[in-house]
Amino acid sequence: MSRITALLRRGLVPLLAVITALLFGAIVIILTDFNNLANIGSDPAGALGGALSGVLNGYGAMLTGALGDPQKIGIALETMAPADIATAIRPLTETLVSATPLIFAGLGVAISFRAGMFNIGGDGQILVGALGATLTAFLLNGQAPAFVILAAALVVGTLFGAGYGFIPGFLKARTGAHEVITTIMLNYVAAQIVFFALRGPILRQPGSTAPVSKNMSAFVDVPLLINLPAIRLDLSFIAALLVAVLISWLLFRTTIGFELRASGFNMTAARYAGMSAGGSMMLAMALSGALMGLGGSFLVVGTVGQLSNDLAGGIGFNAIALALLAGLRPSGVVAAALLFGALSNGGKVMGIQSGIPFDLLSFIFALVIMFVAAPGLIRTIWRIKVSRPQPELAISQQPVASE
Amino acid sequence: MTAAATTMATSGEGVAARRASRDARIRGVAFAVLGLVAFYFASQSLQVAADFAFFIDRAATQTLPVQTTVGVLWMIAGLASGIVGLLQLARGAAFRWRPWLIVLIAPWIAATLGAVLAGKPANLSGMFSGSLEFAAPIALGAMAGILSERSGMFNIALEGKMLVGACVASVVASVTMLLTDNALLSTLVGIAVAMGASGLLGLLLAWLGIRHRVDQIIAGTVINIGAIGITNFLFLRFLSRNTEFNRPPSVQAMPIPVLSDIPVIGPIMFDSRPYVYVTYILVIVLTYMLFRTRWGLRLRASGEKPAAAGTVGINVLAIRYRSMLIAGMICGLAGSYLSMASGGRFGMEITAGKGFIALAAVIFGAWHPVGAFAAALVFGFAGSTQTLLAVLGVDVPPQLLNSVPYIVTIVVVAGVVGRVRGPAAAGQPYEQG
Repeated sequence: MSRITALLRRGLVPLLAVITALLFGAIVIILTDFNNLANIGSDPAGALGGALSGVLNGYGAMLTGALGDPQKIGIALETMAPADIATAIRPLTETLVSATPLIFAGLGVAISFRAGMFNIGGDGQILVGALGATLTAFLLNGQAPAFVILAAALVVGTLFGAGYGFIPGFLKARTGAHEVITTIMLNYVAAQIVFFALRGPILRQPGSTAPVSKNMSAFVDVPLLINLPAIRLDLSFIAALLVAVLISWLLFRTTIGFELRASGFNMTAARYAGMSAGGSMMLAMALSGALMGLGGSFLVVGTVGQLSNDLAGGIGFNAIALALLAGLRPSGVVAAALLFGALSNGGKVMGIQSGIPFDLLSFIFALVIMFVAAPGLIRTIWRIKVSRPQPELAISQQPVASE
Repeated sequence: MTAAATTMATSGEGVAARRASRDARIRGVAFAVLGLVAFYFASQSLQVAADFAFFIDRAATQTLPVQTTVGVLWMIAGLASGIVGLLQLARGAAFRWRPWLIVLIAPWIAATLGAVLAGKPANLSGMFSGSLEFAAPIALGAMAGILSERSGMFNIALEGKMLVGACVASVVASVTMLLTDNALLSTLVGIAVAMGASGLLGLLLAWLGIRHRVDQIIAGTVINIGAIGITNFLFLRFLSRNTEFNRPPSVQAMPIPVLSDIPVIGPIMFDSRPYVYVTYILVIVLTYMLFRTRWGLRLRASGEKPAAAGTVGINVLAIRYRSMLIAGMICGLAGSYLSMASGGRFGMEITAGKGFIALAAVIFGAWHPVGAFAAALVFGFAGSTQTLLAVLGVDVPPQLLNSVPYIVTIVVVAGVVGRVRGPAAAGQPYEQG
């Protein structure tokens, strides 16, 4: 019983953070509803009512877009026709599709934060990993069976991501270069590298000026979980869950994980205990990059099918929000990624159906980070007593470059 | 000389001095090697013409031709590198190499440019003034970064604050223009409100970091993500359809009466948009304020050793709030440049990483206004070269030039060309007793 209360207490701040952020989002929607607000002088009640119904429409579309439309589910249950079932479950499967890269990236952020490293370079590592996977797939095209190409692409993509994550870890360990600065810069460099590669002969889509590679779904694809029309959910979701279990085991049941957490918690103490602080930094960043790279690889060989330089699209940044929301626990990361996946998938539907732009979600995610990081705000807004959750995160407080 | 310097250092202060003199030797050799490389390039391109020209007056009627060969340019670069290398070896760790590095960059850029142009004639006045225009928002952002980091607040939110500034400036100026039809007034009101909005964001960042003790990197990330979200949202929901609210009066070049008549230099430096002049002034004022006034001393003390500053009665937190406010306002000004001067209107993610390049300039310039301005110029030059090369049809992958600021920053932060050290307490919360 006490475990459940503990879980509830731990979940209270994140839950209220998400609710508060959504309320702020609603306020923004109302404040920008100029069509209705223009009438506020003549008909204040009608104007506010119209604006409020706009919010309800938008958030309603988000909800049905994320979980499914009850009406369509009813039809599917009646007819049991594959096409109807597909339309009924599509929103839910799309939510899982959106959640998959977020799980990988969230685990990556969590493992680096646990070791006291701020990995803001998720987008770059996802891109470089995806580039590795794409290059492998095209180089092996026609020379190996599809499953070999898939496996090779995933492995190479993971290694590329790991290598790209290792750079800031190495620089931090050897020279004290602040990983926040280096990862931000490497994000931009990664975008340029991918842009450059997309101009090259191996990847370029003939006749296309857009920075997009040729499509590779004809010769490499991740097996689908449900074989119904227009359902994109594939094995990568299962892989993400397995990796989450693996990371949880690594962090909490192995010596390596203990050393990572120890050096994140108190680097000096870890060093005195004979652990290699520099080694932990490099390992954490390489692992973090590997997870990002794997996520990017699955994205590019699976659901997306082609490399573009906006493939990452802020996943690395949203992953920071959800990893903090999850208290840096792998199980929490999965839950938070499902929530964020639902929000962003529902947000797309909201954009299409009610004209409320999808980008509102970035704003909401930013507020979620803010409220989770500053529980005092939640306390003040909701007039409750919450204790600050202890995410076992030693916040790196070094100057930008070491002496 | 080298040996003498080394022995003195080793017998003197121990490990740190030994390391410093070893670094100095490595640096000296590196400079010398650079010189040799330049001479090698010279031997390869003795016959290639370098045909540059500059405008003498603003009307661009007279030009000053500078005709030489690429080989000569490389030789100058090589000679300069060699001399700096020798100076470094002779003086050891005491040598102030950083300013010399900036001096060296000039001939290297000239030679590289000549090599890339490979004999094509080019007028460089436009490119240089273009570099200044390109550098202005970066330099302004960097000033904001210096101000906040010198006071002890880590500031990765320059990008987000610039983005919000750009959006607010464009919308407010457009609305004022619709109401008053006065371009100057609208521009000024737009800039003022943008500065106010970004200043408030600066205060929010400070409040989260100081009052709520949110890690300053996380707080900065909040502002960056939130700024992208809210401005994209506004653009898509409102501005993209109601374009009359996103049509600010555009800020044009304004030559300064006497100064713009100086031959060659006038057209490059004093025939720009007022933002460039504000940048000059701000660099000078900030340098003076930071290093020659009591205000600056207190601000730097808050960033270096807040506990000591607090002990002598300085209100560290007030200083941090104040400098974050001013820094935010400068970011708003920089943002307004992007939407009202170079862009002509606000567009989604119009900053395109300029705030992060500004952060890079802060580090590259070692937290000094003049250094950061020089760094912004180098970055601006990289951007402006791209335009010139595209016009002349020279095929250099733009991705390469685009990556320069980021790679340079990584190299600088990693201390490959000598360590730069930021304010010691930047990013650390301070408990005021």
